[in-house]
Amino acid sequence: MKPTLNWQIASVADIKPETASVKTFTLKLPAWTRHRAGQHYDIRLTAEDGYQTQRSYSIGSEPEREGEVDITVERIDDGEVSSYLHEVVTPGDHLEVRGPIGGYFVWEAGLTDPLLLIAGGSGVVPLMSMIRHRAAAGAKNPTALLYSSRSFEDVIYYNELDELSKGNSGLQVFHTLTRSQPAHWKGYARRIDEAMLREVAGPLGRSAQVFICGPTLMVESAANALVKIGIDSNRIRTERFGPTGG
Amino acid sequence: MDETRDINRELMLDANATAGLLYEIFGAEMTASPTECAHCGREGEIGTLLAFTQGPGIVLRCSGCENVVIRIVQTPEAIYLDARGAVYLKLTRT
Repeated sequence: MKPTLNWQIASVADIKPETASVKTFTLKLPAWTRHRAGQHYDIRLTAEDGYQTQRSYSIGSEPEREGEVDITVERIDDGEVSSYLHEVVTPGDHLEVRGPIGGYFVWEAGLTDPLLLIAGGSGVVPLMSMIRHRAAAGAKNPTALLYSSRSFEDVIYYNELDELSKGNSGLQVFHTLTRSQPAHWKGYARRIDEAMLREVAGPLGRSAQVFICGPTLMVESAANALVKIGIDSNRIRTERFGPTGG
Repeated sequence: MDETRDINRELMLDANATAGLLYEIFGAEMTASPTECAHCGREGEIGTLLAFTQGPGIVLRCSGCENVVIRIVQTPEAIYLDARGAVYLKLTRT
């Protein structure tokens, strides 16, 4: 069946704070269709005078969940839509949305190649959908997430990532904290660079499928470094979200 | 150093960010669909194009040679599409 892409009115079922500047919104969708991990929804706001503005937000939840999706949104100081979502919207409110959208930056659990996921800040959101999908489907392909945050307090989904990487899940999570680190921090403490990528990506081999999502310049430098260490650029899919996101 | 170019670089997105608009124009998901750059001959999914979305129109550039592949301008009445930088666009029958 051909999917349609009409605007629909979602209701906000739940709002969960993730960090000081990041919240997860659970949207109940009257015309829900199953998404693919990595896809996004567009959200459109209309002012009383008719002025409209819209932004795209990645889905963080797994496709296995029916009737609703989670979008995880970072508040940007001059972001028209993100500040409205953070400061005005409460559970029970309605939002105009369309989706799921996008067929390029997606991963399906049936794919057995090793998976390398690289995130900067809230760029972890679509990758989290892939990780949750992978867990829900019981996939065991070797998977590594390299996740760059400013500080420990800025890490989104920390506990869940920790849980999901336990046992024989085949998922390894590497954090790097670029601005400040708690005492006794054992993870990386610098921006993502070639040496770090060599350590994280090396064990996955050159056939790894790579997804990178984050601020544009971080995505650029990570993608360039991966090509330098021998990963084919055709294996790398990127989702840049501008200087800080929307 | 060209400052405008740097700012544009920082604001650059992937064509994935325009998937909703492309769906509106073509009535289908387009970002996984192939295209060929008319300037350098690079073939790849539309999702591999670089997207510049902060101007009055949207510009999609080749990720190989960075020449313009597709331009889209929206007015209240219409959408204008200039795809002369693409040798072809592929729409899959459903």
